[in-house]
Amino acid sequence: MSILTYIFGWPIVAALALVLVPRNYRVIIRAIAVLATLISAALAVKMFCAYGSAPMDADGYRFVQQIPWVESLGISYHVGVDGLNVGLILMGAIVAFAAACCSWEIKEREKEFYILLLVMSGGILGAFASLDLFFFYFLHELALVPTFIMIGVWGRGERKNYATFQITLYLSLGALIALIGLLALYVQSGANTFDIPRLTEYIRRHPLSVHAQNLIFPLLLFGFGILVSLWPFHSWAPLGYGSAPSPTSMLHAGVLKKFGLYGLIRIALPLLPQGAQGWMQILAWLCLGNILYIGWVAMRQKDLNLLIGNSSVAHMGFIFLGIASLNLIGVTGAEFIMVAHGFLAALSFALSGYIYQKTGTLQISELGGLCRQLRFIGTVLLMAAMAGCGLPGFANFVGEVTVFFGAWTVFPLVTGLALWGALIIGAVYMTRAIRNVLHGPLPDKWAGLADASNLWRKLPYALLLASLFVFGCFPRLLTDKITPDAEKIVAMARGETVAMGSTRLRRVQLGVPPNWIDTRETKVDPINPAASRPLTVSGATPETTRGTRVLHDNSAVALANNTILNQ
Amino acid sequence: MKLELLPWLILFLPLLAAGGITLFTLRYRTVSALLSIGAIVTGFVLSLVFINANGWQPSSAESIANWLTIGGLHVDFGLKLDALSLMMLLIVTGVGGAIHIYSFGYMHADRSFSRFFAFMSLFTFSMLGIVLANNFIELFIFWELVGVSSYLLIGFWFEKPSAGDAAKKAFIVNRLGDFGFLLGILMVWGLLGSLNFTVLQNKLTADPAVLGGMATVAALLLFCGAVGKSAQFPLHVWLPDAMEGPTPVSALIHAATMVAAGVYMLCRILFLLNADALHVIAWIGGFTALLAALIAVQQNDIKRILAYSTLSQLGYMVMSVGLAGPTPAMFHLTTHAFFKALLFLGAGSVIHAMHDEQDIWKMGRLQKKMPVTFWTFLIGTLALSGVPPFSGFYSKDSILGQALSQGNYALFILGAAVAGLTAFYMFRLFYVAFLGKPKTQAAEHVHESPAVMAWPLRVLAVFAVIGGVIGVSQTYASQFSPGEARESFGQSLVEPLTHSPAGVLVGLAFIAAGFFAARALYRDAASDPLPEKLGGLATAMKHKFYFDELYEATFIRAHDFIAAVMDWIDRWLVEGLCIGLVRGGTDLSGRALRLVQTGNLQTYAFLFVLGVAVVMYFVLGK
Amino acid sequence: MHVGLEHYLTVSFLLFGLGLLGVIMRRNLLVIYMSLELMLNAANLALVSFSRFNNNLNGQILVFFIITVAAAEVAVGLALIVALYRKRQSAHVEDLTSMKL
Repeated sequence: MSILTYIFGWPIVAALALVLVPRNYRVIIRAIAVLATLISAALAVKMFCAYGSAPMDADGYRFVQQIPWVESLGISYHVGVDGLNVGLILMGAIVAFAAACCSWEIKEREKEFYILLLVMSGGILGAFASLDLFFFYFLHELALVPTFIMIGVWGRGERKNYATFQITLYLSLGALIALIGLLALYVQSGANTFDIPRLTEYIRRHPLSVHAQNLIFPLLLFGFGILVSLWPFHSWAPLGYGSAPSPTSMLHAGVLKKFGLYGLIRIALPLLPQGAQGWMQILAWLCLGNILYIGWVAMRQKDLNLLIGNSSVAHMGFIFLGIASLNLIGVTGAEFIMVAHGFLAALSFALSGYIYQKTGTLQISELGGLCRQLRFIGTVLLMAAMAGCGLPGFANFVGEVTVFFGAWTVFPLVTGLALWGALIIGAVYMTRAIRNVLHGPLPDKWAGLADASNLWRKLPYALLLASLFVFGCFPRLLTDKITPDAEKIVAMARGETVAMGSTRLRRVQLGVPPNWIDTRETKVDPINPAASRPLTVSGATPETTRGTRVLHDNSAVALANNTILNQ
Repeated sequence: MKLELLPWLILFLPLLAAGGITLFTLRYRTVSALLSIGAIVTGFVLSLVFINANGWQPSSAESIANWLTIGGLHVDFGLKLDALSLMMLLIVTGVGGAIHIYSFGYMHADRSFSRFFAFMSLFTFSMLGIVLANNFIELFIFWELVGVSSYLLIGFWFEKPSAGDAAKKAFIVNRLGDFGFLLGILMVWGLLGSLNFTVLQNKLTADPAVLGGMATVAALLLFCGAVGKSAQFPLHVWLPDAMEGPTPVSALIHAATMVAAGVYMLCRILFLLNADALHVIAWIGGFTALLAALIAVQQNDIKRILAYSTLSQLGYMVMSVGLAGPTPAMFHLTTHAFFKALLFLGAGSVIHAMHDEQDIWKMGRLQKKMPVTFWTFLIGTLALSGVPPFSGFYSKDSILGQALSQGNYALFILGAAVAGLTAFYMFRLFYVAFLGKPKTQAAEHVHESPAVMAWPLRVLAVFAVIGGVIGVSQTYASQFSPGEARESFGQSLVEPLTHSPAGVLVGLAFIAAGFFAARALYRDAASDPLPEKLGGLATAMKHKFYFDELYEATFIRAHDFIAAVMDWIDRWLVEGLCIGLVRGGTDLSGRALRLVQTGNLQTYAFLFVLGVAVVMYFVLGK
Repeated sequence: MHVGLEHYLTVSFLLFGLGLLGVIMRRNLLVIYMSLELMLNAANLALVSFSRFNNNLNGQILVFFIITVAAAEVAVGLALIVALYRKRQSAHVEDLTSMKL
């Protein structure tokens, strides 16, 4: 079995095991959760280190495992990593462990909380490891649902319920739109497979029609975009993170949110290149909404968690900018920020969670001078804030600078404005927050605050911070893995290997203008003859016959109802 | 190249010290201090060893490790070793080392002694990085690190609200400069496809017009970085506020490190600056020099006077770069590092003795009680004022000579006038704070600082005296204008006179005027006579020409206003209106449909039957 | 007069209609319940007559099932109604609206 199966399997197995543990065995519950995520984090580190020497399969994936499942639909259990997801899995596993460590702040219904936390961790790690669209989507949903429950049950603040509603509806909507896009892609490709490598290979040979691409790409862009709080679909994020218990914010903002971006890079860009190219200009300007607009909004926040939430949304803008630049440097930078921001967001929310736990408030005006009392937490918060405004030495800097270099050649104006957001606005709200939370005189009421005292409490913060440092100081650990695969993605997305004239559109069919559902020509797939099936249906079937048949079916149902009624 | 590991060691020793202190020795005060001091002093010694072994131009100038490679983006982590960087290495570790040792005495009573030294080491590391960087991204990385370590050090006493504010201000203002700097870097990379200084220089030498129409824009954007870091107009506002940090920090920022970085960077990338850009740079430098000197005349805080004098001297250096004279600029930077560090440490010694009193009008007659401080401060004042034969005379004169040789008489007169003003405000400070009558009780009961603080003063004083004639200028000249014959000691002693006697005489006349004016006004003054004579101008000087207020009213207000508008939009339009409409619409339709749902089973049954009847009618009825 | 399938079906339809009317119109739970039984019996009648005129026994077998199930249903339903009556002192549907929003 692949190591990936273990990485996301352990948390899921532990979640199942927790169901059997009586709820008053608190220590055991906690120990199981921490242990399971620790094992998975350790395995992820091992996987990351062994990545370079692991054998590659024909598609360029490593640690691959494939078990056929529903063969008629082409669904199989297929996991594997390449440069695009290896960093994400490592980051996800470490954040999951840190989140489990930070869950000591949960004091009621612990059993349920840990079960949900483990399901969430396992689900998202599985989604990142999946090379099958079905599991890719399903495991993400598996991770998403616990978020809603956790915010609703263990959340804090007056607007908890509103936040839960909003995040649930928004994210379900986003996931739904993305699902429609993915299904349309599946149906349109005609490859009859959910398997990402095979789908990619198939589409590389038989690109979708431009028309189909133009319709599917926005579905994926905005579906995934909503999941990543793309402006203007962002308002769920700060509020949701502000209300969520900190382990949930850590996992969601850090890891789960990256799913949409990963989906865009892994699926939307290479499979729908022509659809993508037209949208990149728009995406570049939308990302300014994240960077500038949300940056300004963040300046006005009076609640530390809302501020961190907004800054997290603002950081998404850099990733979108990298994707929009559609070149190797930009996409690699975007991938890098995804990993870096995962660590950073988790760290920030963990810290604000600690402060909330100790003070009972996150109103910035209530706090102040905490650096004196909370030396460790204060120092780490300071570093997190500095990482947040792009200080070198932390991983975010590498990613952001790379994105700027990538985007500069394509969108100089947007890059300039984004730079303003990164260097000035980010610095303004971060230093203001530090000034008001950590610096200044210590109010008397906080004189008795306790710092994170023992190693166990410090561990999650230290771990996340160390990860930021490692990737910030030695970026090649990650970029060398990302670059070859990002190159493939970019080549496909820019249509460099696909001749533009090879769109196989049959324009005229029964005198009807080309309709994207029906215009695909049927051809025998050279790799997989069984997988190709005719999709030109409605042209052959007269509309009338179809209608009657449907009505006939309805009447049959009505008759059946009657019979039952009459008895 | 011999001993090629040494530069790496010099660079990373302070980082190791900072890391070690933070992780392990926070509780052991003396160990932390010794680690930090040891790192920088070892660095100084190793620099000497390295230079001794390899000379000023090591045969293989760059040693490289690849840091990041993505497609066309290639970033190395390399060290650029030439006369410019090696000389700076000596200054940073030497002057910085003296300040570190001094801090051991100055900060002794502080509760966060270890933290202080960790920050100092981090600062040193960042500055060494700037000095040794061989490409733009590496330079930018350390550039930012200097920014953040200054943030930490200025905000060292973070419990004081003013310290927190000053740190924030320094950071943000620096970031404004960095914005332009990074944009310039992107532009240069976009046009030339490389970030490495040597490669860029070769490309530009091969084809000077390669930057095309963007040359001036790119050069000015890069200059923005120097404007921020070297506190030139219009981003000069952060430097005086940086006085909120402990005095050794001010000495470090003002003398050897942070503010020098901007000038150093300009000299490093001189090949990218074209004539138009240099013209702008020269005038900005000159204007800053004048502006700061005028403000310094009416300050009463001893550290603020020195801060504005730093601004003014930096203006000189930038002006000199703008006049295509990197050698005089770096020369002045070097001598300035000596005497400004000396002055700040002397001021710190006074403040220490006066129990944190910084107002010069509360001091007076210190020469008997603090002889070392008194004499060394006098040397510093003379050097800063440009009195021969102190080091400042040579470097300042070389800048004025540069202006003359470029034929830029306006800037020459401006420079000479600023020299006069410098002498005026420095002797004003000296007369009021050190001579005359003791103006408060505290001033009568001061005592000399301990030896650990006095010795760095003595050493720096020696260099402030001889700094002009020990070959600093020639070393820089070997970098910027190779081929010139080296001068002997005797020649360099009288170099200004042989070079441009007219310039020397005009400069000295202004300096003398400044000195005698200060003497006349302040020899026995108990309060400042100048405000009565100058009226509104003095008030404007005192309030720094209202730049803080101006920025507060424009830049900060504008940002806050936009933020408020955006927040309003977010709160009411995006969340209120859009989401509210969807929410309200759903809610409303729910309420409407609820009316149909009576909950009465019989109604349901009736509707059900009705439905069945309708279906039956359609299915069977036709 | 020859009594044919139509007559049986007419009676069955009338019974069904009466039962339906009762279910919809009446407000007493017991009466509603009785009307429901009436509808079931109407269906039974139709089934038996179809069985008779089609000459097979399938319909009658079905009727036995329905009667059995109906008996069980009556037992449960009546028990519920009695329990409800004891609790609320009423078997009137308009008094039993506590589940309504």
